[in-house]
Amino acid sequence: MTHRLPLLLAVGALALSAACTPGSGAGGGGDGKSFEFWSFAAINQKASVDAYRGKRPDVEVKLTEVGTSTETAQALTTALAGGKVPDLVLIQGDNLPKFVQQPQNFVDLRTLGADDLKGDYLDWVMKQSVAKDGEVLGLPTDVGGMAVAYRTDLFAAAGLPTEPDAVNALWPTWDAFIETGKRYKQATGRAFTDNAATSVFYQAVNQVSEKYYSDSRDLVYDRNPQVRAAFDLGVEAATAGITAGQSSFEPAWSAGMAQGQYAAVSAPSWMLNTIRSNAPDTSGKWGIAKIPGGSGNWGGSYLAIPKRAKNPQAAWDYIKEMQSPQGQLEHFGRVGALPSTPSVYQDAKLVSSKDPFFSDAPTGKIYTDSLLGLKPFYIGPDSATIGQEFLNSITNVEQSGGDPATAWDDALRNIKTAIG
Amino acid sequence: MAITLVPAPRAAPPPLVPKAVRGWRERLSPYAYIAPFFVLFAVFGLFPLAFTFYVALFDWNPIGDRVFIGADNFTRMFADPRFWNAARNTVSIWFLSTVPQLLLALVLAHVLNHARLRFALFFRMSVLIPYVTSVAATAIVFAQLFDRDYGMLNWVLGLVGVAPVDFVQSAVGSHVLIATMVVWRWFGYTTLLYLASLQAVPLAVYEAAAIDGAGPWQRFRHITVPSLRPVIIFTVVTSTIGGLQIFTEPLLIATGAPLTCGAVRQCQTLTLFLYEQGFGEFEFGYGSAVGVALFVVVVVIAAINYLLSTRIRADR
Repeated sequence: MTHRLPLLLAVGALALSAACTPGSGAGGGGDGKSFEFWSFAAINQKASVDAYRGKRPDVEVKLTEVGTSTETAQALTTALAGGKVPDLVLIQGDNLPKFVQQPQNFVDLRTLGADDLKGDYLDWVMKQSVAKDGEVLGLPTDVGGMAVAYRTDLFAAAGLPTEPDAVNALWPTWDAFIETGKRYKQATGRAFTDNAATSVFYQAVNQVSEKYYSDSRDLVYDRNPQVRAAFDLGVEAATAGITAGQSSFEPAWSAGMAQGQYAAVSAPSWMLNTIRSNAPDTSGKWGIAKIPGGSGNWGGSYLAIPKRAKNPQAAWDYIKEMQSPQGQLEHFGRVGALPSTPSVYQDAKLVSSKDPFFSDAPTGKIYTDSLLGLKPFYIGPDSATIGQEFLNSITNVEQSGGDPATAWDDALRNIKTAIG
Repeated sequence: MAITLVPAPRAAPPPLVPKAVRGWRERLSPYAYIAPFFVLFAVFGLFPLAFTFYVALFDWNPIGDRVFIGADNFTRMFADPRFWNAARNTVSIWFLSTVPQLLLALVLAHVLNHARLRFALFFRMSVLIPYVTSVAATAIVFAQLFDRDYGMLNWVLGLVGVAPVDFVQSAVGSHVLIATMVVWRWFGYTTLLYLASLQAVPLAVYEAAAIDGAGPWQRFRHITVPSLRPVIIFTVVTSTIGGLQIFTEPLLIATGAPLTCGAVRQCQTLTLFLYEQGFGEFEFGYGSAVGVALFVVVVVIAAINYLLSTRIRADR
């Protein structure tokens, strides 16, 4: 039993926040010497802000870490609909399309000089934040790049090789990855990877040349054989009994990582930071191997300036400084997020970087390599919803005893309901 | 000699002469006194309510277009399996939490009302402790107790050879988990309500029953329960209204997909569905339609409450 207050509050907030017209009022009017920045937690934008404070001590940056990337996008939506907007906001790639559909809510960065900088960024990454009339809504901060992090000590105990090259050879394809999992399970009786939904399906589906939408922006998720193949891989991993059934980013998943409950986890470049903070005692016990099935990308974020921002110029100065190729390279040095600026991919600081936590793996080279030969696909407004329903369907098979034979049809039905 | 009792002549009450209301100030001042509540109610109660009804008629993107679509959101809602799934979950969680809670509160109130209970005040106050605990703290503790891999409950089950139960990922398990949290949080509050009502029953009634040979169970059944009837109906109705709006508990225990409360929406309640549509999918119109449906159900239940309580008064 709870009071009726929460409903009234929820409905009230819904109504009040919708009452104001979005995009009303021009920006500016701030002091130009400070700006408010909303980021998500766990991505360590604080390191970047601290570095900026060193360069521009005259500017005050008010950083708020809102929550997860999804929560940040929700807070931004509510703010855009009628609340107090930040001057600068970090939007995760998956959440971006819904905002790109409504460009009137953001400052067109071309008016601040984005045209001069556009060429610095990976073309296909930049494209995702360009709206229909060419408005540039955000500049990319980093890209994912993909790899697999594995526990060398657990691999050794299971009689598997531990050297990166030998591990690469274990899984040229996803089928081989699942077979390796079975070998590990047989030798140790323990789970090989954390879960089937993110560590197998979500990786494989980000390696396709065409995903949920076709290049002409039509929905094709239900008849795209590449999506179906990735989904089937996920179901296969879920039913093979090689997963720990721990949903990514949950407390039990973090605990399992620290305790060696699973030996391999998909690791886009920004994930290395997560592993480091979740399992600090496992330093030196990890290796990084190539992702099965070739290149791909998971993640990456964008910095955008809402239209009603009070200090758009101060926010833009920050973007220009910190997201320049040199700024991103320095940020890579601090937290390991892979730059979205290809001009630094040959830079010695990146190519020769080694990560002691991951047995001196050449992280810069591994992740930039994983982006080479990448075939970019269009990400549409419903991509996040579609992806979530596919994930849910595989999790259902893995953790709730769902029927693998009907999993695909269930997912399609749920997607149709969800996107109308 | 006979004594006649003659009632003393009663003094006539002073005549009630209404003071003439003079001027507009005096006529209006009562309204000024009650105004703050009604102004606040209009701003925070009535306006949002009316506005929700209005928004429900649109295809309303909070940061974009709004298109008038009439009752389309409602037709869509009645055909939406997710809506009915949420409604089923809500009823199931409500049932699992209300029935044990009220039974527990009944028994506890009966015991706490016992004449010879020592430290009665201490026990009466301590049942209220769960109620003043933050719901988020409750959720964190219960999620850990019921955890599949590291939970204490599964550890105990393991001792007797039962395989670990994944409470969050199964429909029944998650409903039991949420219901347990609700029971834990609210049973003390309900107990005190019952106790307050029981205090009005003269102890002599219990003593007389005991002398007539009624055992503890008979005293409970024939004295405690009947004298609590009105307040039992009150708590059933209020917990129904509260149960329909349960939100925080499922949101906090869900793993992986918080807004859907699990991969197959196994513990998604109506308010969680409303929130998912409004703030997850950015469909304000559709979310508002769910809010309107919820409002109608609550009004119906409040009306039943009114009817029942007036009938009880008439019975007396």
